[in-house]
Amino acid sequence: MFSRLTPYLLVLPLMSFIAVFTYIPIAASINLSFREWDFLSPTMPFVGLENYRLLLSSHEFWNSVRVTALFAVISVPIRLGLALMVASYLVRETLPSRLLRGALFLPSVTSTVSIAVVFSWMFATDYGMVNAFLVSLGLGRVPWLQDPQLALWVVIVVNTWKQLGYDIVIYIAGLQAVPQELYDAAAVDGGRKGHVFRRVTVPLVMPTTYFLLVVSVIEAFQIFTIVDVMTKGGPAGATDMLVNMLYRVGFTLFDIGQGSALAVLLFILLIALALFKSRVLGRRVHYEA
Amino acid sequence: MKPDETKPGNRVLPWLALAGGLLFLFPALYSIFMSFQTVDAYYTGTLDFTLENYRLAIGQFHFARYLFNSLIVSGTVTVMGLAFATMAAFAFARFRFAGGNLLFAAVVATLMIPSHISLIPNYLSLARVGLLDTYAGLILPAISNGFAAFFLRQYIRGIPVALDEAAYMDGATPLQVLWRVIVPIARPAIFSMGLFIFISEWNSYIWPLVAVGDEDLYTLQVGLARLYKVNPGEDVVNWPLVMAASTITILPILLGFIFVERHLVRGITMGAVK
Amino acid sequence: MLGNLKTLFLAGLVGLGGVAAAQADVTVEFWHSFDGGSGESLGKIIENFEAANPGIHIEAQNIGNYNDIVAKLQAAIPARRAPDAAIMEVTRYGLFADRGVLLDLTDYVDNDPLKDDLFDFAREVGVFDGKNYIVPFNSSTPVLYYNKDIFARAGFTEEPALKTYDDLLAVSKQITEKLGDEGITGIAAPGQFARWGLIMDNDSDLIDSKTGEILIDSPNTIEAYEWMASLVHEHKVASADGVTKENNGRDAFLAGKVGIMLNSTGNYTRSKKALGDKLAVLPMPCNKVCAVPIGGAGIGILSSSDKEVQDAAYKFISFAASPESNAIWFSGTGYMPINKHTAKQPLAVSAVQDKPGITVAIDQLDFARGRPRPPVVTWMRASEYDVWQALALGQRDVEETLKDFAERTRKEAERTN
Repeated sequence: MFSRLTPYLLVLPLMSFIAVFTYIPIAASINLSFREWDFLSPTMPFVGLENYRLLLSSHEFWNSVRVTALFAVISVPIRLGLALMVASYLVRETLPSRLLRGALFLPSVTSTVSIAVVFSWMFATDYGMVNAFLVSLGLGRVPWLQDPQLALWVVIVVNTWKQLGYDIVIYIAGLQAVPQELYDAAAVDGGRKGHVFRRVTVPLVMPTTYFLLVVSVIEAFQIFTIVDVMTKGGPAGATDMLVNMLYRVGFTLFDIGQGSALAVLLFILLIALALFKSRVLGRRVHYEA
Repeated sequence: MKPDETKPGNRVLPWLALAGGLLFLFPALYSIFMSFQTVDAYYTGTLDFTLENYRLAIGQFHFARYLFNSLIVSGTVTVMGLAFATMAAFAFARFRFAGGNLLFAAVVATLMIPSHISLIPNYLSLARVGLLDTYAGLILPAISNGFAAFFLRQYIRGIPVALDEAAYMDGATPLQVLWRVIVPIARPAIFSMGLFIFISEWNSYIWPLVAVGDEDLYTLQVGLARLYKVNPGEDVVNWPLVMAASTITILPILLGFIFVERHLVRGITMGAVK
Repeated sequence: MLGNLKTLFLAGLVGLGGVAAAQADVTVEFWHSFDGGSGESLGKIIENFEAANPGIHIEAQNIGNYNDIVAKLQAAIPARRAPDAAIMEVTRYGLFADRGVLLDLTDYVDNDPLKDDLFDFAREVGVFDGKNYIVPFNSSTPVLYYNKDIFARAGFTEEPALKTYDDLLAVSKQITEKLGDEGITGIAAPGQFARWGLIMDNDSDLIDSKTGEILIDSPNTIEAYEWMASLVHEHKVASADGVTKENNGRDAFLAGKVGIMLNSTGNYTRSKKALGDKLAVLPMPCNKVCAVPIGGAGIGILSSSDKEVQDAAYKFISFAASPESNAIWFSGTGYMPINKHTAKQPLAVSAVQDKPGITVAIDQLDFARGRPRPPVVTWMRASEYDVWQALALGQRDVEETLKDFAERTRKEAERTN
């Protein structure tokens, strides 16, 4: 009826692209991470673990690790907490609820560069809307993106604004899977709204929360665009995320060895997170269901 | 009429929430409003509207060109990505073949691999074959989409095999089965994935940023970031102009959003819940 | 008979060659960093060159600032998409010369009468490892610009002393105190070129130009950075805006929001246009000694281009350094003359007459210093921005940070030189 080759031919295009643009580059990155190269020299000498040693002994690298981790640790709970609250309110299929869901979801499919540009304006010191508002209240202007203590918070706000809708959509799907009787039962028991939320909603969407938690942590460790447009990692490294450092080391300083070493470390970290997800999460989901 | 619907609070509250939603979108809405203001009006706080910012963005700052580039790149990536993913998904869902599980695992594993590890090597390999600063250089690394292949494979497994078998009985080839039986049934899933691929490619930033130095090949994202960062005019930022460029950048998604929202939501939630 | 044939054959060859030469227009792709008024002056020079050299077309592209050119050029090498010629900042071309990316222009320069017309300081900037890699185009020193109107409103009836760090701080403080409510600050946060100048004023350097010794952590450099950083985070007489984005400081000065700006003389025309008669120009301060760095850029040719294109590119480079071109450039921008005969050009004569302050940079040449250009400088300058941000915003201790930075620079120098 058909040749034994058929399935191979069907997967060939996808597999060859995956091989060329995903798997071979991993090997290439590992190889480059043991070498010294600046794009210019005709040779790339082998330097062993030197690039890793330099990286791990640099202030810059640990600053990036700290900033990225801080970003993940602060922004993910805020996102998930807000999203669950809003989702539990929007779970009903009424017209305003559907419209509002759409409004909240829109930013998550919108261009990140656009969002970063618009918020750069919002938080601009001189002509920004936020400061204009503060001034109209009789308060002073705040240098949002120039102050190392504030810039990371601005990045967190912008990222939350963008991603919130996605989290809400997922939570709503999770909530809609919860049998309505459970709510009715809780309501009959005379549970107040906050009580029902804590005792019924939160535990029941735990699998969804785990899923979102891991997905958003992985995503948080790969944040780049908002920072690149708004702060370039500044001021004074206060928003210098790992991928922004990778881009700078690779494509501004052209230290290809160290850039590759950084890419490999990031790779290991994210794979570990992903494996953690499939392990722990897989078990949890079954347990809860 | 149920009792709670007569309470005025329960009728007003949802609409209040909706107003809150509009407030949420305020930055985006205001940026669109601003893009129609004259520069002077913006800085003096008066009302004076113009299309000049769009004329400038499209003409002098080449945003028409960038729009065209983004359409070409995202369009091609979507079509090719969908075709490859669907073919592979069909093979993984319907055929048992030596190494099949291993290959499928290799596809699924790409979902965990951060794209940044391939940034430098892809730059170098495309440089070596002279494909940087070409559409191909922008398109090729984005084509393989493990998520779409995985997602469609799950979907196709839900389609009764009996349908395939009936077609084979009538003498169809595997490609014909894929095209005439599977694709029509899986159309909603394929459509969702297509949107998903298109939007991610449209918004993709770091790869076009490194792969393209030639201004003629900038995508909207790179063009907008550069317009904002370089700040033409040596003076205070021309915000209305930047906002006009920004509006052009989000326009296609904005216009299509109402029509495709539920497909997007379906794609995302099916992916999440598996 | 044979001889005739041979002649005929040769004539045919010559004819063919002639036709080929006339038809094959040469295009030189040229990357530069000049926008606005400077871009217009460059455009004029290119126009004149193309009129005088039919058959050569200069395809000029504004790539951004010096950093952008360096980054884009480095990225372009493995992709083989480098231009034919590029503006190279005077301290950052050594890397490219060392790696064989830039063409050795020694033979071209030695056979060019131009070499005797160039000022010594200007010729020197193009020499790396005893060979000539770039021909000077825009030379500069930093100068001190101030806004007379702001000074007057801050209560200075006559020009205050602006010689030492303390002078600058005192004046900046008075301006900020008096006019801070109007959003006016005393001084723009110094950009990297000005920082280097202020370090030299403190009788130190970042890298010794002769020995190549790294002086980033020497006491006088640390003292200079401590003072510069204190302008922003301690005394708050300079806005942090100019720290996170260097041009913000300049733009604020041009907008009349800043009293003093230390910046390249290449900003003269732009400042004059923005501030008119309010603009005053003084030499850089002399805290411990009087010394200024020579900055600016020259044009280099890429070794990857075809010989024919390289020849055409050199013609252009030489033309751009001629008295006529240099006068257009000097009067149009404020960059210093590099050619001894430029001063006699009518354009230059009228510029000196009509534009008070444009000669301050030239007068500083007596105590101007060349700067080193080993490969590590490119890395050092690209990395210094983050160090400066951390110091100016008061995030890290100056001495400790500079020691760390010096150490990293030494390691990098070992690795890359």
